[in-house]
Amino acid sequence: MRLSELNVGEKAEVTALKAVGAIRRRIMDMGLIKGTQFKVVRVAPLGDPIEISFKGLYLAMRKNEAEGIVVCKVDAFNGEEFSQADQQPIE
Amino acid sequence: MSDGKEICIALAGNPNCGKTSLFNALTGAHQKVGNFSGVTVEKHEGYLDYKGYRIRVVDLPGIYSLTPYSPEEIVTREYLIKETPDVVVNVLEGPNLERNLLLTTQLMELEVDFLVALNMIDEVEEKGIVVEIKQLQKLLGCHIIPTSAKKSRGLDSLLDHIIRVSRKDIEISKNKLFFRPEVEASVDKIAAMLTHQKELGGYNARWLAIKLLENDREVYHEVQCYPVWVKIELVLQEALREAERMYDSEPEMLITEDRHAFIRGAMQECVRQPGGVKTSASDYIDMVVLNRVLGLPIFLLVVWAIFQMTFTLGSPLMSALEFLFGALATAIAPLLPNETLRSVVIDGIIAGVGGVLVFLPNIVLLFIGLSFLEASGYMARAAFVIDRVMHRFGLHGKSFIPMITGFGCSIPAIMATRTLKSRTDRLVTIMIIPFMSCGAKLPVYVLLTGAFFAPDVAANVMFGIYLLGIVIGLWTAWILKSTVLKSDSEPFVMELPPYRWPTFTSVFFQAKVKSLMYLKKAGTLILSAVIIIWAVSNYPHNVALEKELSAESAQIARSGVAAAEKMKLQNRLELRIKSEQLEYSLAGRAGKVLEPLIRPLGFDWRIGIALVTGLTAKEVVVSTLGTIYSIGQSNGAPVELKSILRQDPSFSQATALSLMVFVLLYIPCVAALGVMKKEVGRWRPVLLYSLYSLSVAWIVSFIVYRVALLMV
Repeated sequence: MRLSELNVGEKAEVTALKAVGAIRRRIMDMGLIKGTQFKVVRVAPLGDPIEISFKGLYLAMRKNEAEGIVVCKVDAFNGEEFSQADQQPIE
Repeated sequence: MSDGKEICIALAGNPNCGKTSLFNALTGAHQKVGNFSGVTVEKHEGYLDYKGYRIRVVDLPGIYSLTPYSPEEIVTREYLIKETPDVVVNVLEGPNLERNLLLTTQLMELEVDFLVALNMIDEVEEKGIVVEIKQLQKLLGCHIIPTSAKKSRGLDSLLDHIIRVSRKDIEISKNKLFFRPEVEASVDKIAAMLTHQKELGGYNARWLAIKLLENDREVYHEVQCYPVWVKIELVLQEALREAERMYDSEPEMLITEDRHAFIRGAMQECVRQPGGVKTSASDYIDMVVLNRVLGLPIFLLVVWAIFQMTFTLGSPLMSALEFLFGALATAIAPLLPNETLRSVVIDGIIAGVGGVLVFLPNIVLLFIGLSFLEASGYMARAAFVIDRVMHRFGLHGKSFIPMITGFGCSIPAIMATRTLKSRTDRLVTIMIIPFMSCGAKLPVYVLLTGAFFAPDVAANVMFGIYLLGIVIGLWTAWILKSTVLKSDSEPFVMELPPYRWPTFTSVFFQAKVKSLMYLKKAGTLILSAVIIIWAVSNYPHNVALEKELSAESAQIARSGVAAAEKMKLQNRLELRIKSEQLEYSLAGRAGKVLEPLIRPLGFDWRIGIALVTGLTAKEVVVSTLGTIYSIGQSNGAPVELKSILRQDPSFSQATALSLMVFVLLYIPCVAALGVMKKEVGRWRPVLLYSLYSLSVAWIVSFIVYRVALLMV
């Protein structure tokens, strides 16, 4: 599913980036890469943009931009950090 | 004292990392200290003398990464690569270390001589975060000096280390960040090809290789024109296939992932955060301020409060200044026996400059409010709250900040649009900023509302004028975006920085800088404008009129009426002659030529003159009216312009409203047009824009005037 489809309070993990160009680069630079877990904090009073938080950072983005981020819902964050090894598929 | 040894240092860091505060703390030059992404748009320079060295400091724009997507990033990268400062100081926001380290890893790749200022160390300690500095130094391969620009901590140590790094007296050996083996293999292959290229000697081959793998446009352009490109392209294609096959990804993503992995490792090894996620003060504030129900009302309340503060607190200060200038004119008048000289000094200089200085309190208060919003972190929230609306008009939430700054002055506001990535967004925002009523237009409203509206209504009328500007501005944006400037908007991915209590100095000095700018304008531009206006409204002299004056005045003197009655007649005569003289002057003729064009708006030729001179700066409208009307009225003793206008038959509430609207909307001042040209790059859009704003001003003023006539 896409980040834009999440509800407030839900936790999720980034699985892929579909966005391209400047948006993609900005998202990556902010640390939203494959494996980053985040929480949807709130939606702006007028319904757009949305705010997510991860690693002590609060990021606002439009639903438009959020559509370029593929995520899967998680029930809880795995501990404090997410290690590189976990990203590899286990054969 | 410097012994001629000069060190050039550059401050680089993320937005909101306290870089500008550090710059101020080091150089003592006070600038904009904001808490919103990208307040520092221009390159700011300063210097200080320390232990026999002259240290030149360049404050680079706040950036998250060294990619070439925003103008700030390009400026920073160009500076670091081409100007090669002796030492780069990477300023890190201590409490937000993990995200800040991304830029550090890119500096490592660039292989510049850098050191880290671990800023906001006081906040780090308060939060109970422990940083193993020695270990982190080893990993990053540079010195790390804890600092707090706000509390002036660690500055001497930072300067000592800067000197040491510049002398290559470094104990810590540079470290390299290694990517996963597949990426490293490609990097090595490309780097090897590039080291054989003499022309590219200025760049570090490994960095170029990494950038090529990251699809960096600028570096592509740089390398593409060399024959070796053919070979490199093959390696790049191979790397792309490899990444696709092994990771279902591409090299750019892998490189970013590895940088983040390195940072994660460093964080795990060197930083101990207190356990458990605590709800911070910022979280609590945002629960209220960004609340779905309360968010918008709070936003509107904040904007409204800024204006109430400006006007309500400003008016007693203004009255005091007005009184002071009146007293000055009365005191000076008897000292000047020559009538022409007295006219220059009192009607020209004191009336003009004084009339401008009087509004300083409003401007200071407005800028205190705006800097407070910026430095506290609320500005970013404002963008978050209002983006939906802005987006509808084809703008970015971030355009709101320059727009709001436009209420102070269009010039810094237009320059602040550099934070917008897309050229189209920038252009549109630049075009709407002049509709945001600037501080220089305020004197016009203050004068006219003060003269024609009761004090309790005046603030509402002004609020209405400001609102009208916003409406017209957004409408303009929408028109532009749906016609000539159709294109994608800038991505909205923006950090909401933690709320910080702004320091008194950052808010106060911002107001001081802005006031000085205003005064400088008043001192040079406005004074010269005023003297020119005085000259054109006095010359050429109507000789026939002068003869008439002396003849009639002699007649009055000979007549048999009482002395008091004689005085009255004499005054009335002089008034008539002076106003006729003004009509005869160059200014009067220009105004007359314009009169048929502005008559439908309720303006006569005197307002026409004021509007023309107002192009030099909008506050000049007030001083011109002051000069013209006091020539037509006073007899040495200054009378308050407000009451002169109130008594003038050609002025009414409807005229006042129409004039305020026209001043709000018509062509921006020459300074703003100049900056606009600089930012847009060409004159054509600027001239077209001037024509557009003039037409809009005419149409809207016409409607307002006619409606007001019907209602009053």
